[in-house]
Amino acid sequence: MPKVTIDGKEITVNPGTTVIVAAKQLGITIPHYCWHEKLSIAGNCRMCLVEVVGQPKPLIACNTQATDGMVVKTTSEMAVQARQGVMEFLLVNHPLDCPICDQCGECKLQDYAFEHGQGYSRFIEEKVHKPKRVPVGPRVMLDAERCILCSRCIRFCDEITKTSELGFLQRGNHVEIGTSPGRQLDNNYSMNTIDLCPVGALTNRDYRFKSRVWEMAQTASICPGCSTGCNITVWHRHGQIMRLTPRINDTVNEHWMCDTGRLGYKYVHAATRLATPLVKSGAAQRPTAWRNALRQAAELLKGAKAAALAGLAGPFATNEELYLFRKLLTQVLGGKRLDCRPRDKGPESADGFLYKADKSPNYRGARELGCVAAGKEGWESILAGIEAGEISVLYVLHEDPVGEFGESDRIRAALGKLQGLLVQDILPTATTQLAHLVLAGSAFPERDGSFTNDGGRVQRLHRAFHPPGDARADWRILRDLAQQLGAEWAYDSPADIMQEIAVEVPAYVKAVYAELGSLGVALQA
Amino acid sequence: MAEQIRIISKNFEVPNAETIDVFIERGGYEGLKKALRLTVEEVVEVVKASGLRGRGGAGFPTGVKWSFMPKEPKKPHYLCCNADEGEPGTFKDRKIIETDPHSLIEGIIIGAYAIRSKLAFVYVRGEFGLGYRRLSAALEEARARGFVGQNLDGTGHDIDIILYRGAGAYICGEETALMESLEGKRGYPRPKPPFPAGYGVYGCPTTVNNVETLCTVPHIIKHGADWYRSMGTKASPGTTLFGVSGHVNRPGLYELPLGTPLREIIYEHAGGVPGGRKIKGVIPGGSSTPILTAEMLDTPMDHDGLRTVSSLFGTGAIIVMDETTDIVAVTRRIAEFYHHESCGQCTPCREGSGWIPQILRRIEAGQGRMEDLDLLLSICANMEGRTICPFGDAAAWPIRYNISRFRADFEERIRRGSGLPDPGPVPGVLGGRRADLIPVQVSA
Ligand SMILES: Cc1cc2nc3c(=O)[nH]c(=O)nc-3n(C[C@H](O)[C@H](O)[C@H](O)COP(=O)(O)O)c2cc1C
Ligand code: SF4
Ligand code: SF4
Repeated sequence: MPKVTIDGKEITVNPGTTVIVAAKQLGITIPHYCWHEKLSIAGNCRMCLVEVVGQPKPLIACNTQATDGMVVKTTSEMAVQARQGVMEFLLVNHPLDCPICDQCGECKLQDYAFEHGQGYSRFIEEKVHKPKRVPVGPRVMLDAERCILCSRCIRFCDEITKTSELGFLQRGNHVEIGTSPGRQLDNNYSMNTIDLCPVGALTNRDYRFKSRVWEMAQTASICPGCSTGCNITVWHRHGQIMRLTPRINDTVNEHWMCDTGRLGYKYVHAATRLATPLVKSGAAQRPTAWRNALRQAAELLKGAKAAALAGLAGPFATNEELYLFRKLLTQVLGGKRLDCRPRDKGPESADGFLYKADKSPNYRGARELGCVAAGKEGWESILAGIEAGEISVLYVLHEDPVGEFGESDRIRAALGKLQGLLVQDILPTATTQLAHLVLAGSAFPERDGSFTNDGGRVQRLHRAFHPPGDARADWRILRDLAQQLGAEWAYDSPADIMQEIAVEVPAYVKAVYAELGSLGVALQA
Repeated sequence: MAEQIRIISKNFEVPNAETIDVFIERGGYEGLKKALRLTVEEVVEVVKASGLRGRGGAGFPTGVKWSFMPKEPKKPHYLCCNADEGEPGTFKDRKIIETDPHSLIEGIIIGAYAIRSKLAFVYVRGEFGLGYRRLSAALEEARARGFVGQNLDGTGHDIDIILYRGAGAYICGEETALMESLEGKRGYPRPKPPFPAGYGVYGCPTTVNNVETLCTVPHIIKHGADWYRSMGTKASPGTTLFGVSGHVNRPGLYELPLGTPLREIIYEHAGGVPGGRKIKGVIPGGSSTPILTAEMLDTPMDHDGLRTVSSLFGTGAIIVMDETTDIVAVTRRIAEFYHHESCGQCTPCREGSGWIPQILRRIEAGQGRMEDLDLLLSICANMEGRTICPFGDAAAWPIRYNISRFRADFEERIRRGSGLPDPGPVPGVLGGRRADLIPVQVSA
């Protein structure tokens, strides 16, 4: 195994390891633009030039294999001078208008110009002008003048999505990226090119110029768009999501997320969000205070015999919420009938990469935590039970059977017969409209908790901001309801709930928050 | 005066030499017949022993290059004949292809045999219309006579040749850009490693050889390494086609031993400078090679000789410039060529090759500043040795050497300015300020 010395630090690496990777393992970041650990080596930006002792010229760290005894210097005069030269060249034709660029604050060119630039320009000629505001795709905008031609976006489309929409056009300093006539950058992963782009050349058409980077807070979360559970960062300002970006997790989504998930957050800020509990009064539903809502909910649930009670959980609820929901129905109320269904849109709705057929984030959690009925005891039998008058009270958590389960007329008719329909959700749905009581819960960026993805990985969501109005965290609604029903539930946070799950459900033994970290843990077999 | 030697050029003035009958009548395909009856190792050995060096520009020993190919093929091997000839000043390969295409076919088959390849590609410069037609016709003739295709000359060996036309990019002469282009992709040089002998065309072991290089091989096979070494110098044996252009009375191709002094080539073979004018400078091996001054005319034209004057042999393309030449304009024109031809892939070349002509145009227009000269040298230094392919060096050297060897001419031009009354502010170009008033900081 080759042993190399980089900036005086020694490391033994696997044969074939490049200098840039060896340095990374040592905690040394060699400045670079085109190199990306998930893409092929292009070697075009030349920013990672380093001195290799014994070599007359600087070598690019991204395409130089570390060999035994190699001594690399990343801060020697040769390396620094080479980097400065490259920085100067990159800025020659780059617009120097950072203050009006959308990338400002998270731009590698800006960062490295600050660290490795000279602070003045020797270039006094006319810059090459290229097209600006080019909609290369429905979700991505190109500013060709800002592009440093690193080819990351091109390689992403060639190597990751294998759709090859992008390519280089022209030659010399007139080179631009672009699509062939009649083509667009429109694959469902196109927005990852925005994250890959080290500069402000590719921007997010949904987000561009809505916020400066430093004005936003970042909160680690999980995309609720399908059962993959891509790790994401929620970028928000004043309680508003500005954008979502993927968070690196090699066991789940690597560096990527799909465009559907990235843009799927709009409902969070819908004007129709449920902001208070609602109680049915005649044909209408009117807002009510939580104290009243919880009291009425408790009465409604107590009003039925245990056998006449059923629960329907949505696979959108967190592990903690699902656990409490089941505990409430079965232990506090003695009910037996509970189910949860995946949001399966069929194999043709999946793309074989990240976007799965099941468009819900936590069906696996529902299964593991006992919310999915075994055999014939599921939703079909609950529905039949309602129709037969055997079930008189139904508690629905983050689910919309009328709108989502098909045969909506039948379900609507059945639910209309219930003595009590209690629905906890975030938006008005075909089901909430029928409810006697609606409890206003939280959307994913408002939640603390965890999802279990289809691969059995338990991953944390963090609360970015509060739900609108008087809407509450769902775990808290469930706890308060249990207390209202006389149970002595003392959970103070989702962490407390997970602590209990880890004891009660063996698969979750390792899933306590201290262990989940930012990348989650696998369920125990 | 040494006479020209007629080896590679022996058919140049022969009528209909492009047809197979005339070619064979004059000894053609004898080298091929002999080579196919030797072992691969023997062929490589003879060429190694001959000391033949590549004529594509880098002067790498051909036999050594062949020996880099795997000895036991695991994948197909390919030979690429580089017929993209784009280096300004160079016109030897074109002459060979147009007048003696069979000699190239013969060389290609031997080269392919030597690297255990069953298929060779010829990457023909797009502009070579006549050459392409002649080569295509010759290929059909050679195939009909059993020199190309299956069971070559009854020996059981199969080697075929495919012609491919480029689309007019100088960079596609760079061997890895050539391979990309051949594969139907954009002609971008590949980062090395991997090297072509391991990973070339379609990811298979590949050797790239120049037209003239391959054309020389049959003669070496036929007459032996010692015969070849009896010409030229120890480190650069044999003869080559010197292509002389510019201010000479008889421009053209001259086949002479390597090591022939530059003065002899210009004055004895190419007939000297028109009007008896003095020589100002000579580009010795194509536009990328550092310019020589009149004091360097006794340089022997071989790889070592040119290195002693900090230049390069290149492609043997000699461009003579007499005392009336405007070096500033020449430099600007060369810089514009490299700007036009840079593939634009890597930062120093893309940006440097564009920036340099901007400055030179300004100097030529009388808007230069003295600092611009050091700035140009600094830009060159930031390009040299920092790029994916040698184009970056090729674009920088002529600028660096033209300035360092003719600095007085540049300074003169800058001092003289435009020679016109003060033009006042130049809108746009210099942000409305006089160039000479804008301070510039230049680091070494
Ligand atoms: C920018 C550039 C252009 C080149 N153009 C040519 C060319 O037109 N023809 C050629 O034979 N070699 C050209 N070369 C050299 C080739 O890369 C390669 O070294 C050569 O074809 C090898 O053949 P040889 O060993 O027979 O010289 C070029 C190199 C560079 C860097
Ligand atoms: S658009 Fe961005 S990612 Fe694509 S080549 Fe340009 S700088 Fe690189
Ligand atoms: S040196 Fe110039 S020609 Fe060669 S790869 Fe880089 S940009 Fe292209």
